[in-house]
Amino acid sequence: MSILIAGQVLNGFATGMLYAMVGVGLTLVLGVLNIPNFAHGTLYAFGAYFTFTIANWTDSFYLGVLIGPLFVVLMGFVIESQGVRRLYGAHHDYQLLFLFAIALILQETVILIWGPVGFSLLPPKNLAGGVDLGFIVYPKYRLALMLFTATIVLALYLLMTRTIVGAILRAGIENREMVKVLGININKVFLFTFGLGAYLAGLAGALSTPIWGLTPSMGLDILPICFVIVVIAGLGSILGAIGAGIIIGLAQSLTTIWWPEASNVVIYFMMCLTIILRPQGLFGSR
Amino acid sequence: MRERNIYLIILAFILIGPFLQPRVTVTEMLIFGIVAVASNIMIGYTGMLSFGQAMFFGIGAYVAGLLLKAGMPLIIAMPAGILFVLVLSIAVGAFCVPRTGLYFICITFAFNQMFYFIAYSWTDLTGGEDGLAGIPRPSLLEDPVSFYAFVAGVFFACIVAMKRIVDSPLGLIFQTIRENPERAAAVGYNVKLYKWISFTIASTFTGLAGTVYAMLYYIVPIDQIHWLKSGDFIFMTLLGGTGNFFGPIIGAIVYIWMYDTFALFWGRWPLIMGVVFVVVVLYLRGGIVELIGKVRGKNKRTQKVP
Amino acid sequence: MAGLLECHALSKKFGAVDAVVDANLEVTEGSVHSIIGPNGAGKTTFFNLISGEVSPTAGRIYFKGQDITGLPSHQIPHVGIARCFQRTNIFPKLTVFENVWAALFARSNAGALELIKRVSEFGEIRDKAQDIISEVGLEKKLTERAETLSHGQQRLLEVAITLGGRPTLMLLDEPTQGLAPEATQDMTRLIQRLAGRYTILLIEHKMHVVMAISHWISVMHFGQFIAEGGPEEIRQNQLVQEAYLGTRR
Repeated sequence: MSILIAGQVLNGFATGMLYAMVGVGLTLVLGVLNIPNFAHGTLYAFGAYFTFTIANWTDSFYLGVLIGPLFVVLMGFVIESQGVRRLYGAHHDYQLLFLFAIALILQETVILIWGPVGFSLLPPKNLAGGVDLGFIVYPKYRLALMLFTATIVLALYLLMTRTIVGAILRAGIENREMVKVLGININKVFLFTFGLGAYLAGLAGALSTPIWGLTPSMGLDILPICFVIVVIAGLGSILGAIGAGIIIGLAQSLTTIWWPEASNVVIYFMMCLTIILRPQGLFGSR
Repeated sequence: MRERNIYLIILAFILIGPFLQPRVTVTEMLIFGIVAVASNIMIGYTGMLSFGQAMFFGIGAYVAGLLLKAGMPLIIAMPAGILFVLVLSIAVGAFCVPRTGLYFICITFAFNQMFYFIAYSWTDLTGGEDGLAGIPRPSLLEDPVSFYAFVAGVFFACIVAMKRIVDSPLGLIFQTIRENPERAAAVGYNVKLYKWISFTIASTFTGLAGTVYAMLYYIVPIDQIHWLKSGDFIFMTLLGGTGNFFGPIIGAIVYIWMYDTFALFWGRWPLIMGVVFVVVVLYLRGGIVELIGKVRGKNKRTQKVP
Repeated sequence: MAGLLECHALSKKFGAVDAVVDANLEVTEGSVHSIIGPNGAGKTTFFNLISGEVSPTAGRIYFKGQDITGLPSHQIPHVGIARCFQRTNIFPKLTVFENVWAALFARSNAGALELIKRVSEFGEIRDKAQDIISEVGLEKKLTERAETLSHGQQRLLEVAITLGGRPTLMLLDEPTQGLAPEATQDMTRLIQRLAGRYTILLIEHKMHVVMAISHWISVMHFGQFIAEGGPEEIRQNQLVQEAYLGTRR
């Protein structure tokens, strides 16, 4: 039993880190641009599918993970500069609806390009198989995933707290008008943020493929989880999104042991609890 | 009076519709017409964008469907479904309404998905992925024409009722909240309370439409409670025109027409919907009503003192 | 005799910033009482404390003897205080008529059953709305959308909405803000017409307006009241001159 729990805890961390990454992507865009990016889920999906195609083409998973998300960034740039930007003057509900419409279009595009049937992608040879941790033999890939995502998250944290770019982003989350007044080109900030959010989504999608495979609905499925993360973490809190992602991942994995059917719903109960007990989110201040 | 004319046009549509389109299609248009107008009370009048209305539609359908399957007569099943949604919307509203803007959207969205997963997992009750099948229609409504007359009657009653609501002081209060919530409070309105009322009214009428829907195809497919459906509802409302009470009816009609025209031939039809949506959001935010207005060369309306 | 409005030791801190410090104020019923002071002195924050937009960190507020400290903003009109805003705060897409109607309806004692009636059926409110709109001089714009009004007309609408609250005490926050001289005169005359029937607490920057219509003036500087008195007293007060009148507008 305890091996089962230990395994699920580790799984929870692995999924949690993925959730954290995609959740942070959404939180960044939400915080800086003030829009819930409904297309975020489909960007995650495209990250996975691009990686799949490149990995198959080059026979290298690593190349897939490296290049795939970059295409997603490109998509993000196009969406922001050609669409979202045109709606800055209008009521911001319209930006949201625009992104929802884009999500519909992208969702169908995935199926148009890659077909309605899912795929699987094997982890690279040197990360296949398990590692004996003593109390359990655990998939190598998932361990590597945890390390890698932790590194990315750390890099992101350093970016946000130690660089000027990060300072501008944090300022933008706090007070967009002030950033404009300081003479910073707000359009560039928005473009960059959207691209960064897209990168995180795409990368998470890419990394998720050996664990969950690829299905056309993966974009639609991950979006609600992102929103739950945002609600639990609190608006505008990056660290909170990371924490919330991990909490959700753990909650899902552990629930699977005792009540498998509830593992999808448990995160929504957690969300309700957060709204009741601490409406501004666990880590939020607004 | 212009309003009388609009009702006459609606009546004409109800009478002539089944000759232009399959009767089931027109029935669906009427059902979703209720949903679109109800959603607009929240979106257009109060300025609250909810991404969770499908949960009320779906739950209304499931509850009515289950009761009908259990052998209850319609006179119990339908009001029970409506009552259930009413109580639920008050409860869900308590969580969602205190949040504004983005947060409100995220929370309604997440609640929607929670109910979707409950429906998905509770297969014994809801049929899970396969939906709730085998819903009987009451014998009186077995005949397609009588069912259609029933739906038309419900549709008309709902429209009249909702019009009464928006013409009442409540409708004006909702609009003050949309225009300027700070000032609405400053003149003495408990903004949270009225938002809650708006949420409840919109959601209950949506649930009502759901109870009727359950009998249309004798099944409640699970996608009726999915968050994508909530997006469809918003699309209908926006497409018709949020600035006009009757506009969303047009949106529902066009949406169902588009669905029936394209969905049967192309599995990727949501792409078309997405493109139309993009066009509306970028270039035609007032919806089809705005288009009609432009075509008729009207200027900005000024209203008469009532 | 106790004032209609009394503020005792009112304070508001925003983090490290002392917006309002130990403010004491007493407004006599029936008077026009002005608050003046340099920009950023805390005057609007002071109004926000009274009207419930913001709650004080210390101090108490009494209105007609009743403690209204910390009452939420939507309950304030119901005790008899109505306020207008420095930054025009109307309902843009509603008509002038609807703007005022909404304010009046909030204060009518309509029961829940009344909500079934159409807006057009409330004859008494309609008449009152038309009276108020005529009083401020906007009768020609009755059915126009508020957003189509000029800035000056919108400031008048601000006052009309405030009147719709059927207040005993009106809080007017820079009603002449951004108005040209002629419009300023119209607004000043309007306030003078209202002076008898309502108690008015006024924030103003235009000294000639303040001197012309006020019975009593309080001077605020860095969140504190540093002086008060009749117009002549204030004009000659050393402290006030140093702090404020030296930079005459």
